[in-house]
Amino acid sequence: MKISNIQQLNRFKQLIFLVLTVAISTFSNEFFAQGEGLFKAKCAVCHQPHKNGTGPKLFEARKRWEAAGEGALIIEWVKNNAKLRASGKSARANEIFNEYKGSVMTAFTDLKDEEVISILDWVDAQPDPATAAPPTTGGAVTPGMDPEEESALSWIWIILGVMFVVIIMAVGGVRRQLNIATSDQLDVQEKLTYGEEFRAWAWKNRLYVGISTLVIVISLVVGVLQGLSRINVVENYQPSQPIAFPHSVHAGLNGIDCKYCHNSVTKSKSAGIPTVNVCMNCHKQISGEGKPYASEVQKIYAAAGWDPKNGPTGAYNNNTKPIVWNKVHVLPDHVYFNHSQHVVVGGVDCKQCHGDMTQMQEAVKVQPVSELNKIEGNIKLSKPTLTMGWCIECHGAKDVPLGNGKNAYYDEIHRRLKDNDKTLYRKYLKDGKVSVSELGGWECAKCHY
Amino acid sequence: MKKTINMAVNFSIIVFTILLFGACTSDPDSSGYEYMPDMYRSPSIETYVDYGEIRGRENKDLKSKLSALTPPRNTIPFCGTDSTEVRLMLPNLRKANAAWKESHGFYGVDLSKDDEYLLAANDINPYKLTAVNSASMMTNGKELFTAMCQHCHGEKGDGNGPMVASGAYVGVPAYATLTALSDGQIYYSIYYGKNMMGAHNSLLSKKEIWTLVHYVRQFQDPNYGKFDANGTAMKSVVADSTMN
Repeated sequence: MKISNIQQLNRFKQLIFLVLTVAISTFSNEFFAQGEGLFKAKCAVCHQPHKNGTGPKLFEARKRWEAAGEGALIIEWVKNNAKLRASGKSARANEIFNEYKGSVMTAFTDLKDEEVISILDWVDAQPDPATAAPPTTGGAVTPGMDPEEESALSWIWIILGVMFVVIIMAVGGVRRQLNIATSDQLDVQEKLTYGEEFRAWAWKNRLYVGISTLVIVISLVVGVLQGLSRINVVENYQPSQPIAFPHSVHAGLNGIDCKYCHNSVTKSKSAGIPTVNVCMNCHKQISGEGKPYASEVQKIYAAAGWDPKNGPTGAYNNNTKPIVWNKVHVLPDHVYFNHSQHVVVGGVDCKQCHGDMTQMQEAVKVQPVSELNKIEGNIKLSKPTLTMGWCIECHGAKDVPLGNGKNAYYDEIHRRLKDNDKTLYRKYLKDGKVSVSELGGWECAKCHY
Repeated sequence: MKKTINMAVNFSIIVFTILLFGACTSDPDSSGYEYMPDMYRSPSIETYVDYGEIRGRENKDLKSKLSALTPPRNTIPFCGTDSTEVRLMLPNLRKANAAWKESHGFYGVDLSKDDEYLLAANDINPYKLTAVNSASMMTNGKELFTAMCQHCHGEKGDGNGPMVASGAYVGVPAYATLTALSDGQIYYSIYYGKNMMGAHNSLLSKKEIWTLVHYVRQFQDPNYGKFDANGTAMKSVVADSTMN
């Protein structure tokens, strides 16, 4: 009896609620816009329409409260959740509170009932991006030709070539046999081997044969020397990577500073590859659901041991495994290169050597010097990237900012040049700057020791 | 008969040579030939180098394993001999050993299960802001903030950085709304992460985090970190956070 009364009351409340909702939502678009504004101002910090974050998703939150039989209490919850929890009249309030491990929701006592409804109306009208059709171009990496496919293709060419040679030789052999068979001077022809025949032909045309042999020999020598000089020139080297990471999206579209991920660049010899926890700082939220790159994000989750389905917001399961990236810019061990020296002390921008990564959609590659020269503000160089000539050229061209109080070592050099050796200082300044090479940047032991 | 055998031999040599050259496909993951591999590859441990093969000796256990290893347990980086500097860089007094629990340390730190976050409210910024170091502190802070925070929190600290503007990330609060947080809690949030924000202790040293704590206070009060002609702080909050 009593229970049915409560149920009736609840139903009655729901009815009023529904009528109220319908009535209000038909008011005008203005009200709808108000909901959007309020959501973005008050709720968006912790809530998303379709994804659990700091707080649960708000899409059809009303339905969930109604399913729990407390449809009308959601407004009270929004306005002052602590009070509702303390009052004890709502089981769902405490349930949510415990599910989100006690993250306390801010009280919004200044919101009016219809404002809360306008927010929930707006949220319920939002389409789910995960089920919506994935966009055709998501700024994701467009993978090049599959390496396996490529090698299969080259095999086809080789087989075709071999078949071609076989046919030519077969035809040649048949012709030769026919010639021999039809010839009158059987005895003479039969004695000559291929070699003798060729020698006779070469002697007859010795001028042309001589000139063409010379040309072939010279071009071979030049080719071999050129080939040797290309050894260990790694321009355009672009190894495959375990995860298709688009720099254009991270550094370009989303404006993340290079130093956020490569954070040891100012402190250490190596610029650093970010550990997976750095990826997870953003990708805990950005799962790429419904986007073409979702499978790539899943690889991060596998490496970090993150299970997005665990609990309302996902949790770590401690089952981690390393991501094996391929190193792109490899210097030989007999060269010493220090990132922090160049970036902090020398003030060299990343793009001087690595190019404009904000435009780099594919895997990282060693940018050829012609590409580097196109970038504004770069010192223009001519030798191939990552060769010694390239380093030396830049050391000769880059100026060292002396005596500006930023670097005690350079300040001391500046003081000594000024006080002790004015003529040398004047000689240095002939081209208007003190270059790295003038301060010992061309000494062998600067980089080789 | 002999001739046909000769021909067959010649022919097979040609075919074999063609096949041999055809087999030379370049490995896209190899950077090519090296002149002197023993001078190119370091036998001592360098970061991000594959030690699966050193000077002809192959070590299968190390092949394709990462060489960027985590530091030994309970060690701290060397940070000079200046005692105030060293004190600033010592392990965080809250959960000092949490960093070594897992490979990267900070997986699954649950702020609600302990009251460390609440206790952190009493932590005092050991990196004192004075009239002398205020200018350099804010310059350093700006540099750090640009590299580490602004892509989400925005250049002006309004929670509208390029990542939020592009729609990739949602839910970044403006600093102006977080005035209730104490210095210790801001430090704690950066160090261990809070809500959707991840832990940043692997990216920032303790000194840098305390610098950022000073810097973000600026977004809440434009007078923060400014001193009058007598060298007294224009804002009492500075005096509070630099006690002791």
